[in-house]
Amino acid sequence: MRPIRADIHIHSVLSPCGSLDMSPAAIISKAVENGLEMIAISDHNSTLNCNLAVELGREAGLSVLRGAEVTTSEEVHCLTIFPDDVAAAAFQEFLNEKMQHIKNVPEKFGYQLVLDREENIIDEVEYFLPAALTASIDEVEKKVHSLGGLFIPAHIDRPAFSLYSQLGFMPSDLAADAVEVTGRIPEVKCPVIRNSDSHMIDQVGKKFTTYMLDEPTFSELAMAFRNENQRRVISVTP
Amino acid sequence: MKVIDLVNELGLQVFSGKEGLNNEVTGGYTSDLLSDVMGHAETGSIWITIQTHKNVMAIASLKDLPAVVITSGEQPGEETVAESNAENIPVLGTPMRSFEVSGKIFNILAKK
Repeated sequence: MRPIRADIHIHSVLSPCGSLDMSPAAIISKAVENGLEMIAISDHNSTLNCNLAVELGREAGLSVLRGAEVTTSEEVHCLTIFPDDVAAAAFQEFLNEKMQHIKNVPEKFGYQLVLDREENIIDEVEYFLPAALTASIDEVEKKVHSLGGLFIPAHIDRPAFSLYSQLGFMPSDLAADAVEVTGRIPEVKCPVIRNSDSHMIDQVGKKFTTYMLDEPTFSELAMAFRNENQRRVISVTP
Repeated sequence: MKVIDLVNELGLQVFSGKEGLNNEVTGGYTSDLLSDVMGHAETGSIWITIQTHKNVMAIASLKDLPAVVITSGEQPGEETVAESNAENIPVLGTPMRSFEVSGKIFNILAKK
């Protein structure tokens, strides 16, 4: 077991707010350069760039997890991380079903691009991805857990799109595996982590969480959130 | 004025919390951010929102609000209904948008 640095909240060019140089390949090389051993690609309400990132990560020796940053009907952003391609694909179907069909205006909000390994644009998502799903936070939590995934309310202390801003406080029975914060570490019942929430390439590797794990994998991360077998969150960057 | 007066005048649906229909309404507050309502709503204000999460009831109880009006035809979840009944704070519904129902309630309150 050893300390492993991981950042499980990174946006790619699929997020309209993600910079155009946020290709999976660029993210991976920056993550490796900055000493991360595990990342997750978590675009707004979509997993469509995840498989490519996982593949490129494998070649580069970086563990890449499939994720998405979901906007619940309450407009609470929640990170969702999945164990494998099957679970991520099933969650993508759920996203498609719960998506509001509000047209994206790329000139205003940014482009939503799906890439292939040669960085060709193979798809451009027509609907504005960050819009709220028609699923509540509880529905999303249940869906994620039914697929064996991890459910982590994102940047809960931010003044917008957060658990605190939208819902006032943490619902006592919300089954969160961890919470992500940007500022001071709060007193909560679950592990507290920090991620970069990178939208630009220079942000990758600047903020992360250090975990005590045997290896950088989904199942080890899940164990760390449950404080099992000495796996745990060690520290977060300031 | 009482919650029941607004229910009758505006044809609001009563989802739950019937015991609280005689709660006194002295003002209104329209917001979908619970942290905002927590910080700024005054006691006695009827709360107009599209939020349906059960935390709505916790905040309504904390701030001693007489009732919650869910707009745009949204439906409260089971847990919200249960909390509403437990706290005797009615959850009301209307197909009107928040803007419209807020305007109507504002005018009714201004006349009293």
